[in-house]
Amino acid sequence: MTEQARPSFIGARVKRLEDPRLLRGHGRYVADVRLPGALEVAFVRSEMPHADITAVDAGAAREHPGVVRVLTGSDELVAGREIRGDWRGEIWQTSAQPALAGDRVRFVGQPIAAVVATSRYVAEDAASLVVADYRELQPLTSARASLSDGAPLLHEGWTRNFFRHSHFLGGDPDAAFAAADGVLELRTATQRQTGMPLETRGCVADYDVVSGSLTVWMTNQMPSVVRTSLADVLGVEENRVRVVAPDIGGGFGVKAYLYPEDVVVCLLAMELGRPVRWIEDRREHLLAAIHARQQEHRVQVAYRADGKVLAIRAEVLVDSGAFSVHPWTAGLEAGNALSLLPGPYTIGDYECDAYAVATNKSPFGPVRGVARPAAALSTERAMDQVARATGLDPIEVRRRNLIDARDCPYTTVTGNLIDSASFQEALDRLCEVADYPQLRRQQAEAREAGRLLGIGVACYAEQGASGIHEYLRRGMPTIFGYETALVRMDPSGKVLVEVTTHSHGQGHETTIAQVVATRLQVPLQDVRVVYGDTSRMPYGMGTFGSRSIVMAGGAASAAADKVRLKLEQFAAHLLEISADDLETVDGAVRAKGAPFRSIPISELARAAYHQPHRLPQGMQPLLEAVSTYDTERGTGTWTNACHLALVELDPGLGLLDVQKYVVVHDCGVIVNPTIVEGQLHGGIAHGIGGALLEELVYDEWGQPLSTTFMDYLLPSATEVPRIEAHHIETPSPFSATGSKGMGEGGAIAPGPVLAAALEDALRPLGEVVVTELPLTPERVLRYVDEARGAAADASGDR
Amino acid sequence: MSERVFRFRLNGTEVEGRAEPRRLLSDYLRDDLGLTGTHVGCEHGICGACTIHLNGRAVRSCLLFACQVDGAEVRTVEGLADARDPLSPLQEAFWEHHGLQCGFCTPGMLMTAAELLETNPDPTEGEIREAISGNLCRCTGYVFIVDAIRAAADKLGARGAERQ
Repeated sequence: MTEQARPSFIGARVKRLEDPRLLRGHGRYVADVRLPGALEVAFVRSEMPHADITAVDAGAAREHPGVVRVLTGSDELVAGREIRGDWRGEIWQTSAQPALAGDRVRFVGQPIAAVVATSRYVAEDAASLVVADYRELQPLTSARASLSDGAPLLHEGWTRNFFRHSHFLGGDPDAAFAAADGVLELRTATQRQTGMPLETRGCVADYDVVSGSLTVWMTNQMPSVVRTSLADVLGVEENRVRVVAPDIGGGFGVKAYLYPEDVVVCLLAMELGRPVRWIEDRREHLLAAIHARQQEHRVQVAYRADGKVLAIRAEVLVDSGAFSVHPWTAGLEAGNALSLLPGPYTIGDYECDAYAVATNKSPFGPVRGVARPAAALSTERAMDQVARATGLDPIEVRRRNLIDARDCPYTTVTGNLIDSASFQEALDRLCEVADYPQLRRQQAEAREAGRLLGIGVACYAEQGASGIHEYLRRGMPTIFGYETALVRMDPSGKVLVEVTTHSHGQGHETTIAQVVATRLQVPLQDVRVVYGDTSRMPYGMGTFGSRSIVMAGGAASAAADKVRLKLEQFAAHLLEISADDLETVDGAVRAKGAPFRSIPISELARAAYHQPHRLPQGMQPLLEAVSTYDTERGTGTWTNACHLALVELDPGLGLLDVQKYVVVHDCGVIVNPTIVEGQLHGGIAHGIGGALLEELVYDEWGQPLSTTFMDYLLPSATEVPRIEAHHIETPSPFSATGSKGMGEGGAIAPGPVLAAALEDALRPLGEVVVTELPLTPERVLRYVDEARGAAADASGDR
Repeated sequence: MSERVFRFRLNGTEVEGRAEPRRLLSDYLRDDLGLTGTHVGCEHGICGACTIHLNGRAVRSCLLFACQVDGAEVRTVEGLADARDPLSPLQEAFWEHHGLQCGFCTPGMLMTAAELLETNPDPTEGEIREAISGNLCRCTGYVFIVDAIRAAADKLGARGAERQ
């Protein structure tokens, strides 16, 4: 029988195995964990962006009926409990975030006290009785202000207000600029946004005083890593710490940290010897969960008259907030922006300075896309301006600059190794499926009728499944370069898989099962995938950075292969045939070319456990294997995509109506197209929110103004259009399954796509360059005015 | 604080409840009755994760006090299909069309969609989008949710036609 005849679940639109429990309301999230005798915590948070705490009066709170403990920042219990995340680069300044601030606060929302009571209602009542006195210090509310001369220094021992400064020089930008036919300059800006999962953070800690063991249920995307971090900060032996990350209501990067609140909840449970529970509310989430995305770029672009971009010089300022987060550091977004700004293009001469600047705002960390939305805004807006300057179509400019897929593996100017791609093909396909010429005709007709339609396009390469090599190169303190899987076939032949990634929407219970069922040739329903409990699972890194199908899929595939090989060796012994002459197909191990000589897997499994005397000499009973996995060169995989949108602008209201959104996407071998499409839709919706609606606004005194869902607008079903997704499958030569990571990509392009579409829509009114996101009605109206002003200037009637 | 006593029907069963006047219905259902299918996403009435049915209408349980359900008929996601029964046609359609990812908004989304289909059995895509615009989902981009609700309408419509 040929290889193709083996049943394969790869590429099948399998319904998700996790869904029935979630649809019935039987998921188990952290807030659903109820332990007898549990106490509840409410945090008291700083109202000041930058101040010395002169006194905290917790007397009334302590006397409030039902209050068990009030903990303040000066309490011995939290002394020295600090969270650090230090980038291992040349120019780095450290910070230490206290579990509770004792003497100084550095952002509004920073926890300064915790009240423990018999119920959350009582804890919140008492928390409101805690009064802090402050001596105010000058708040630093923008990256520019922080870097200005005379700005107060945010942390002790600092020389200027940045965590990280990186300089990159590749090729010879000076020569390229000198030889260019034209040079243009752009200043782009993206504002503070965040992942905003529908489930807030939460932590339930239970300490067994007698055994000294601590169990913590947490909303966390990386249970193994956070277990180590907790053990370090708490001073508890790690083999006595169990972290359980049960069902989680979305992460998007926001739940991939050790937070101060986690430390405080655990310390309280350990001191009180009773379970302690904290479920964050949405206001706290907006104030004190990590923020992301706020960047300012100054970009100079050298180009040739034929549309070829020769060189880029850039300065990147990231408003990175008050503290460096653990384990990602405050430097990641600045580093990614520097590394990825040249985009999927053959730009060989590049210079960049990137700063992770400290400000008096909530700490900053990686969120879906991590710097790529801001980097793509600069790169793609640059392509559009080159198109305008050269008179070429924006699609044609991209075509002339995209990396030729035949050159892959291709090393970019910043040293990124793009494993394989279909850049040109994807762009051609986009023009075809969106019928680009027809869209242009439609736009022209609409303009005739006085309607403002605009078309925007963007391309990107999405770095995913970063491995050992990549995290070393980035200077991360922890090298997140692998994932792990345990595959256990039980005596009945059913399979349990433990993966170290965490699934909170991504569908690992299904896709990893598809991979394992295919490798082991067992029915899909015989494979159960679990995750999220460090007392059971092997050690691994977690879910982030578009990695799971490659890394966990690779590990599960490798562990399944070990189990299959063992089955085959066992069968070889029983059948008295060389294992080389056996194959595993559709539930049985059988002789190649003589399928009637076969043993069902279920029979082998039972014997491997219950009839150990039948095993060949030296073979141990049990059928289980653990395997770690990294991509072949540790450089990861690169998904590529092109997005196109058609919008209509209402110039009176400043509203953009997204009428069409098309994406052509290549993430290599697709394990489950439905799940890939769901991830794409979600990423694009996230990106549309980022492009049009979402903004964490701070006023000039450092007070956050976006503290409810009335202020921070998430896209709803009436803002997100029907998204059309088309696939190309260029297998990755570096991943075990040929798949590439793709969870974040959708969020990268909508910003530049919609900025370009607005600029295009405005063209009949006048020429402007749209460089600032999000395109809230206020900003859009400013661009409308600017366009009209530009037209008036051009006609000289001002 | 003194407790209030109230009586209501919950997923078809009579309940005698007891709670402080200020206790939110969402907290009461989840923490006192253990019906944790109703999720709490914002506690200020925007996200829709806590949506339940009160006398047949979709409402936000985080904006109601528990004692306000006195005399009412309350239905939560657990009432859409008994745990031992097959999924309801609406739940089935969400499964079939990948209308959920992390599952956190899902109970509220289902309750809103159930109300829509009870009041408008044949909604257009625009009507579906309008109806669920008060239920935020961060994972799906809504495309497959809309497809699922439309498919459920077809399925329920076909069943209705069979009965006639």
